[in-house]
Amino acid sequence: MNLIFDILTTTAILYIVAAGLLLVFGVMKIINFAHGAFLTIGAYASLIASQLGLTPVAGFLFALLVGGLFGLMVERLVLRPLYERPLDAILATWGLAIVIGQVITLLFGREVQFVPSPIRGTIVLLGAEYSGYRLLLTLVALGLGLTLALLLTRTRIGLVTRAVILNEQLAQGLGIHSQLVRFFTFALGAAIASLAGALITPLSSVDPNMGVPWLINAFMLVMVSGVSMLSLLFATLIFGAAQVLISSYVSPILGGMAIAVLAAITLRIRPKGFSRD
Amino acid sequence: MIDGDLIRKQLLRSALPVLLLVLCAPWFLDTYTTNILVRALFFAMLALTVDVLWGYTGYLTFGQSAFFGVGAYAAALVFTHLGFGPGYVILGVLLAMLAALLIGAVTGWLSFYHGSTPLYASVVSLVLPIVLTQVLFSGGTFTGSSSGLTGYGMPDLSVEDWFRLVGCLLVVLTTVVWLFVRSDGGRILFAIRDNEMRCSYLGINISVYKIALLIVTGIVAALAGFGYASFSGVVAPELAGFVFGTEVIIWVALGGRGTVIGPVLGAIVIDWSSAYLSGNLPYIWKLFLGIAFVLVIVLLPQGLLPAVFKGFRRFLPANTSSRALQLIQAEPKPVELEPQSLAVELKNVSKNFGSLKVLSDINFSASAGELVSLIGPNGAGKTTLMRCMSDGEERASGLVCIQGHEIKRIAPHQCVQLGLGRKFQTATVFDSLTVGECLRIARTRIDPPSFWRRSAQLSLPPYVLEVLTATELDQKLDVVTSSLSHGEKQALELAMVLALEPRVVLLDEPTAGLSMPERSLIGKIFIDLTSRFGLCLLLVEHDLDFVREISTRIVVLHQGRLVLEGTVAEVVDSELIKTIYSGSVGHA
Amino acid sequence: MHKQSMPALYGADALQVKAMTSGYGALMVLRNIHLSVASGSAVAILGKNGMGKTTLLKSILGFLPKQSGQVLLNDEDITTMPAYRVARQSVSYTPQEQALFADLSIKDNLRLGLPRDSLLAERLTAIYEIFPFLQDRMQQLAGTLSGGEQKMLLIARALLSRPKLMLIDEITEGLQPSVIQRVANALSTERQRHGTSMLIVEQNVEFALQVADHYIVLKRGEVVLTGLTREPSALSAIEAELAM
Repeated sequence: MNLIFDILTTTAILYIVAAGLLLVFGVMKIINFAHGAFLTIGAYASLIASQLGLTPVAGFLFALLVGGLFGLMVERLVLRPLYERPLDAILATWGLAIVIGQVITLLFGREVQFVPSPIRGTIVLLGAEYSGYRLLLTLVALGLGLTLALLLTRTRIGLVTRAVILNEQLAQGLGIHSQLVRFFTFALGAAIASLAGALITPLSSVDPNMGVPWLINAFMLVMVSGVSMLSLLFATLIFGAAQVLISSYVSPILGGMAIAVLAAITLRIRPKGFSRD
Repeated sequence: MIDGDLIRKQLLRSALPVLLLVLCAPWFLDTYTTNILVRALFFAMLALTVDVLWGYTGYLTFGQSAFFGVGAYAAALVFTHLGFGPGYVILGVLLAMLAALLIGAVTGWLSFYHGSTPLYASVVSLVLPIVLTQVLFSGGTFTGSSSGLTGYGMPDLSVEDWFRLVGCLLVVLTTVVWLFVRSDGGRILFAIRDNEMRCSYLGINISVYKIALLIVTGIVAALAGFGYASFSGVVAPELAGFVFGTEVIIWVALGGRGTVIGPVLGAIVIDWSSAYLSGNLPYIWKLFLGIAFVLVIVLLPQGLLPAVFKGFRRFLPANTSSRALQLIQAEPKPVELEPQSLAVELKNVSKNFGSLKVLSDINFSASAGELVSLIGPNGAGKTTLMRCMSDGEERASGLVCIQGHEIKRIAPHQCVQLGLGRKFQTATVFDSLTVGECLRIARTRIDPPSFWRRSAQLSLPPYVLEVLTATELDQKLDVVTSSLSHGEKQALELAMVLALEPRVVLLDEPTAGLSMPERSLIGKIFIDLTSRFGLCLLLVEHDLDFVREISTRIVVLHQGRLVLEGTVAEVVDSELIKTIYSGSVGHA
Repeated sequence: MHKQSMPALYGADALQVKAMTSGYGALMVLRNIHLSVASGSAVAILGKNGMGKTTLLKSILGFLPKQSGQVLLNDEDITTMPAYRVARQSVSYTPQEQALFADLSIKDNLRLGLPRDSLLAERLTAIYEIFPFLQDRMQQLAGTLSGGEQKMLLIARALLSRPKLMLIDEITEGLQPSVIQRVANALSTERQRHGTSMLIVEQNVEFALQVADHYIVLKRGEVVLTGLTREPSALSAIEAELAM
């Protein structure tokens, strides 16, 4: 039973981390290598919040806000000139990640720090004792997924965003300011990444380089999911399960790279990955 | 050869002083600096390999560090577990090269298959170092796990001697790389970066080329790593890691991608500076580098070196030959005449896009000496038909034979090898190369190029020379293709396709965008090709006047079906054509 | 090259193109184009494939940069205006290819034709009168409609926004005669009711003559013939030009 919880919660955490990256990839067709850095920003935002004595929820909201603001700045200054050069966009965002990492190190120091968990200890569920916070995160992931899905399918702005994802030129011909859509979508993606960072800090710790391993996994999951949120759910479930199973039964090191390797092989066999068409 | 002398002169001018500098420098530098510089020199070798792959071929790779790490660990493992001595050095070198070969082959197979995207190839290059570092971490005491290996036997050389040795090797390597990218064979890298599809349709097997390139650069990187481990006496998993891989990219980007010298200087300067500045202000320095990197990518994508040294270009190896290319006539290869076989034959060819039937049951054939025009309204399937004839994977069903050989499911470059040439609707040429270089690459299949020499002569069949003289492109052999007019680019593409000495040529709207005189010129050339040289030409055209003037046969396609076929007279004035083209289905 | 001036029949011009030269990269497809659409009138652009008709619409709308010349919309200079802003000046554009979001429903495709959802309900009633089949199929994915139905959906979307100017690219392609007639009727009705100006690119000469007041013929990126569609000699003059 614990194993099933492990799989579910790992899936949930991966989903939360990757969702923002997928949104950005769908609308802007580029991979944001600064995603891990936004994660780190969110983590430090929640650190600040906890040091200021704010409630955990306020800390999460603070992280969301900070991430969104950074996202707006990055899109305007770094990404906009690189729209036609997707490989260079990867490099520029990676450079940005380095810059952000160094600034954080300068401001906060290199030591590992901790943020207290909103829920401490374990909960007994379905006959097993399991970390309460991790189970909470599963609910958060569901909530996030649902919110994004509703946003995309039930609102006008979601429709406009989907139009830009499907065919940007056609959308422009219908009067849609696609530049603005990209601007705000990136900010939203950054905000979600930041929130993800804040959410995962209670699980381990906060340090300036925490974003990198998450970036790789999120990146591979997005590549394998195409542009569909549903495919992402599917991918995180399958690969998340693979990671947990391999870590538990074979070796944690192999488990750590399970997602990356499996995703690369999947794409080789089926270049569309898990997306429907 | 006159050009050979020129290269040697340039080499002596630039390489000898540098060699001299390398040999003398240790007398002026302190031991600490020399030590740092030797490390930097090894890194510069690694940077060179990244420049060849990324700067020249357009393959963004984060994984060259993996090869470097493999080489380093080969040295460390052999010296730690087996011992140190000349025999062991040789063993270590061979192991490093073998490992690099295997890893390069697997990575290349994974990344460079028919239909892979640049993004996917970069993804794989990212996964490689991650996997490797994890393997090293899990190696226990054998690989030293996270602490790495140290304290193994090393060559007994002074730091100064190391500097001279490695410095000279670096100069030699740089020269070799420079000769390679300047050579006729090296130009293929540019061609691949500019337009992979055109390369395929010139018969070049891109996948094999890229995999071979990856293996060779991988071996070089591994050897550099081997040297590094022998010098520094310590190896750690980070050497094979993704973060180091991205640092190399930063050096190349800042130094100047695609310049050979830029990455070398970038690696040396940045690594050296890092050693000094890291001590005092480690985070500020990394921050500065990061900012510089972002600024360069966004604002100065070519890198700092080209921007800064624009004025001193005379002293640096030039990219263009100062000697004009000479064209000489070659005898076209004799045709294996099988008088019965048709130039091209299609039987029951069909193609769908989902539920939409783009082509249904096409039966069609053409022989040598025919000039067949394929006409029909938009959406009739003409371009799709051409694609089915030139790419074995395009059609859903049916048979396609070129020169009597079934194409089954083969790739475009293999179709070209059967004697097919294809000219695209939008001029598909190599924008960053000169006219002469484009033609040289077009001859690759017939006349394989040298990988270190740049020949001063190019032999072309008579009909290609005619195209070049008629369009005056033979006066513009040194002009970069991107500055040609639209009509000139079309002519160049035609010349390139013909340089393949194809027996069947597919031409997609060859007159699009051409002026009246250009049209009549190209019409004459087409007639010549079929009547005098016995080629079979298939044209897709909308210009009915043009079609009427030059075709021996016309085929009409409408809604995916072949609806009419016959001589010019039979087809052009027929009722069917009028109704299809004027759009009125009866009177409204 | 013939160039007859077109008299302004209804007052100010909805659209004016002056000496426009544009194309793709180094290739100039259109050279020195002059054209005007009087307010409330319809102009047909005829010509064979590859002659620049689609390029003309794309240049007017702002998808392609213009090397020289001017485009005026209701006397306002839109030469350098980005496409999405031109569209917002009450200009509707129906492209020839990839004109619908195949993965979205009919309703969503129609919604995207309007700047706000609040206008949808009332405008839809008018659309249902012209194309009743849409009413029961609002949730159906646009990509599953037949070719003719898709074109009718395109017209519906264009009419929904009550544009002042409609740019239509080869709407009749692949349609059977009865559907073509319905489309012609829909456009004529729209012009009568709202005085919409139209610029229609067509290969179907008879449809163009039925729907438009004026015509121009493009050949190799230049205007070679213009005239009034109601002249009895129009059809033969056009056919002669196209056949040459």
